[in-house]
Amino acid sequence: MLWLQLTLTGLQTGALYALTAVGFSLIFGATRVFHFAHGAAFVLAAYVFYWADTAGLGMIPGIVLAALAAMAFGVAMDRLVYAPIQRHEGSFFTVFVASFGIGIVVENVVGMVFGRSFVTIDSTLSQSRELMEGVYVAPLAWIAIACAAVFFAALQLFLRRTHTGMALRALADSPELIRVFGLDPRRLSSIAFALGSALVVPGAVMTALGSGLNPALGHHVMLISLAATIVGGIGSIGGALVAGFVLGLAENLALIAFPSQWSEAVTFAILFLVIILRPAGLFGRATAH
Amino acid sequence: MRARVWAATAAVCMLAGGAFGKDVEIGAVFPMSGTNAIYGDVFKSGADLAAEHINADHMLKEPLKILYEDSQALPQPAVVAMTKLVEVKQVPYVLSAFTGVSKAISTLAQRSQTVAVNGGGVGPDLAKLGDYFWNVIPLANLEVRAMVPYLAKHGMKKVALVYVDDPLGQSILDELNANLPKVDGKLVAELSVPTSTQNFSGIAAKVRASGADAVYIASYGAQQIQIAKQLRDNGVKAQLASYSGFSTPDALKLPQAEGLLYTTQAVNYKAGDKVTQRFLADYQKAHDGKKPSAYIVNYYNAVLLFGILAQKLEEAGKPITGANLLAERKATKSFDLVGGTVSFQDNGTLLAPIQVNKIVDGAGQPQETVDIN
Repeated sequence: MLWLQLTLTGLQTGALYALTAVGFSLIFGATRVFHFAHGAAFVLAAYVFYWADTAGLGMIPGIVLAALAAMAFGVAMDRLVYAPIQRHEGSFFTVFVASFGIGIVVENVVGMVFGRSFVTIDSTLSQSRELMEGVYVAPLAWIAIACAAVFFAALQLFLRRTHTGMALRALADSPELIRVFGLDPRRLSSIAFALGSALVVPGAVMTALGSGLNPALGHHVMLISLAATIVGGIGSIGGALVAGFVLGLAENLALIAFPSQWSEAVTFAILFLVIILRPAGLFGRATAH
Repeated sequence: MRARVWAATAAVCMLAGGAFGKDVEIGAVFPMSGTNAIYGDVFKSGADLAAEHINADHMLKEPLKILYEDSQALPQPAVVAMTKLVEVKQVPYVLSAFTGVSKAISTLAQRSQTVAVNGGGVGPDLAKLGDYFWNVIPLANLEVRAMVPYLAKHGMKKVALVYVDDPLGQSILDELNANLPKVDGKLVAELSVPTSTQNFSGIAAKVRASGADAVYIASYGAQQIQIAKQLRDNGVKAQLASYSGFSTPDALKLPQAEGLLYTTQAVNYKAGDKVTQRFLADYQKAHDGKKPSAYIVNYYNAVLLFGILAQKLEEAGKPITGANLLAERKATKSFDLVGGTVSFQDNGTLLAPIQVNKIVDGAGQPQETVDIN
């Protein structure tokens, strides 16, 4: 039954990875900005939710506040950090360094405000129940998987059925063409940041309830998002979703065959293999320059 | 007139500069940021209280000042911090913590003849770092030797180990492998995790599958709390056990850690000596009656030890250097520190009995004291 247990655990882990990676992929795909501070948005949302819980505001207001904080952070990054750099034709590397720096600042500010130690929200949602002999599943696992499905479906509908969604997809290909059609690339970019940042909220909330928080959490989130984005194919939101699940499952199922310290390394072994064998990623389009 | 003003200003500056320059300075390389910063705050509270007492008693001719540097509990930043303290500040005595950090700075301590004193790291290797590296804390090998018989006595002979993949975790693995067979016990699972791992639901599944009676957690900081929480959340019902690293306020108050067993050095707060009573009274006065943890005692003792040795050197008219501090420690058979009169082994490690504690209502309750020596 160990394999079944690890498969279920892997699906739960994968759902959280998928949601975070989809957010990063949406931002990167639409704007080509390497938003390293995506992990900081995750930390910010998680701690706002934690604050709301400790303040006794309740779960739903906490989720709303966390979403508002993450979206405001994403839009502020786009408008106040990336836009000025891009206006002065800053390189990809300049944007990356700025984003990395903001990530560090957020980590330290969160540490100063909430303390640097481990915090968690005690909830029955994270407590597993025995599904069958030797197989334990927490309600949070089902919520994580359902969230991944619902948010992905909603995002696909938005991107395919709305004008703004279609414009976002077009933004990645040609910002100039967007202008020709009378649309504002800067506004679309902010929408991409707001949506992408909002997608960290389910993962952030479930991490606060499940494994707990510390201010340095963002680095791990970012590494996984980046790996899933590359494995899935840069710019492919569906690819990021599938890759998130693949990485989550691989990380857990690796425990059957390998010593436990290798389970995280499996993620990066997969990344390495994909880069070697299929550089465009599982669902990416090969491009020639 | 202008010349007089300048002269007066210069005199004040010189006097002030001279006064600050005469402080007796020691260093501390503690984690002040990152996931283990909580330990830095705990260690600092003990060290600062000792400095306060030393200065209030005028034990030294000039005030004692502790210069804190951030190690982030990582070896590389710790070496940078130690280099600054030794090369720039030229302190003779440095407080250290964490096994990896202590091992990293020990070479510099030995080379520069600076005494480094560890009160937080418990890797057994710390007893072998040379004359200039001292431990005012019993090391993990002693803690494991106390915990294993206790578990066996209570019918828990099949033990699973979840350990961080670093020198501390490795040493606890070695100790469990060496000590479990002595009580007819067995290590049924050994699950190492990198220091960065935060998700342990898969590890919990492996622990459950191992059929262990007890799970020994050998990690530190936020990670050890996450392990305890996720093991319980994921259906692990076996007894949880750990070492003194679990005696932080955050770990103790975790609901999922209720009932967890952990070892610490035994500190006899009921000892009637003045040092213990003063420490306890002043600490509780400053912290709303809270009982100090073993770490706070250790760093209080580490600074008080410096005060005692430096006082003796000043009385003998000798400069306070690392070499002289070492010679004075070797010449002194015992020290009156918090918890009673203690002595050092030849390898510079303090001897102390070990206590098995159980977390009850968010606080450690002593269960049994084991004299390992």
